[in-house]
Amino acid sequence: MSDWLKWTAPVAAVMSIAAPAHAIQYMSVEEAQKTAFPGASFAEVQAGRVWKASSGGYFYYDHVVGKHLLIDYTVAIGADGRVRRVDILNYRESYGGEVHDPSWLAQFVGKSNSNEVRVNSDIRNISGATLSSTHLAEGVKKVLSYHASHFR
Amino acid sequence: MPATSASLRRAQALLGTFVEIDVTAASRSCAERAVEAAFSAVADVHRLMSFHDADSDLSRLNRTASSGAVPVHPWTYAVLEMALQINRHTDGAFDITVAPALQRLGQLPGVSDATSSAADIPAVDAIELLADQRVRFSHPSVLIDLGGIAKGFAVDRAIAALQDCGARSAMVNAGGDLAAFGPEARIVHIRDPRSPDRLLCQAEVRDRALASSARRFDPFRSAETTETAVIEPTTQMPARAAHGATVCADKCMVADALTKVVMVAGKRAAAALARYQASAIFVSSDGDIHTTSDWQGVLQHAA
Repeated sequence: MSDWLKWTAPVAAVMSIAAPAHAIQYMSVEEAQKTAFPGASFAEVQAGRVWKASSGGYFYYDHVVGKHLLIDYTVAIGADGRVRRVDILNYRESYGGEVHDPSWLAQFVGKSNSNEVRVNSDIRNISGATLSSTHLAEGVKKVLSYHASHFR
Repeated sequence: MPATSASLRRAQALLGTFVEIDVTAASRSCAERAVEAAFSAVADVHRLMSFHDADSDLSRLNRTASSGAVPVHPWTYAVLEMALQINRHTDGAFDITVAPALQRLGQLPGVSDATSSAADIPAVDAIELLADQRVRFSHPSVLIDLGGIAKGFAVDRAIAALQDCGARSAMVNAGGDLAAFGPEARIVHIRDPRSPDRLLCQAEVRDRALASSARRFDPFRSAETTETAVIEPTTQMPARAAHGATVCADKCMVADALTKVVMVAGKRAAAALARYQASAIFVSSDGDIHTTSDWQGVLQHAA
């Protein structure tokens, strides 16, 4: 049987390190378009927001905003008016607080786009809380109702 | 080192949360195929084991298993088998029959007419796993929820799908329940359950899984923590032994389920953790931080 080790820490010490704002880019709009409608070309219907695919169907780019969360996502709707796929392009999570701890910030100094993306040394794997995806589901519903009233 | 490789990172809204997968494979098309297969496996688990979906295996069991044997998908059967095994090895601290209590707390839909705490036998003993992947409930008031284990199982299926597609390394993170394989260790930050905008610990995950449970919070509305979603089976009330728990194990399904055991049993979970070769960290209700002696993480305040 394993024994437990007890760590009695002043709360202030534990609290002194803020979680990082969590920002990730997964896909570009173009990548999401290609994934949803392979081989199609796209005509912009509404600047930067809605496209019509040459193979039939529509492609939407939208955002959901929560108090602590911002998600850019796309919805591909087939010619039959049904959702073909939903992709998350960006995901920004923040608790409104900047990162205060200098040693935390120091690790970002000198990083740029030209740096190799070090998948495993990145600051983005977080455990300990489940974020609800309810807002995204509401966003997709909103896109669907917009689609039904404009393009159906 | 291989001459070429391609890395991808993708996210989908599944299992009521965000599932993120990053993968490295020999080519871009291989990585894309692997990610699609992995998300598809997670979506399959979601379809089979969702409490909210009336067509899921789980909902069919809850509706009809008390009046006759119900055939289920092999994955559903495997999860039920593991759930019952962990129940036995934890003196009932892990219990999939707490669904009525979750309904009473408004954390699952539906109105509970079951009186599981007053039953003559523990409701979990009424679940019968029969031959040919059929399941029967020997008591009419049994209502199960796999929310404490299915997410971990989904992560394990996603990892298997990525490996089957020939990925070199990958990580799957389903809202904090995660697993990774490949040559490099991945750093995972664990939130402080008392204050989710802070970090408690940093752990390295390599060919292992890690899962966390905490008193519930909804970062869309508030960063404040609220009541836990983990039910203490003996009282049918929210568990109070810990603010939050994180468990590291070989399989994410096991890690996921054992977080509930630590939330319910606190330090008494040690024997169950040892049986599954799992390590853990938790913050007890008095604010002390406890780790098993084999816990590999680095406490933030000690750094």
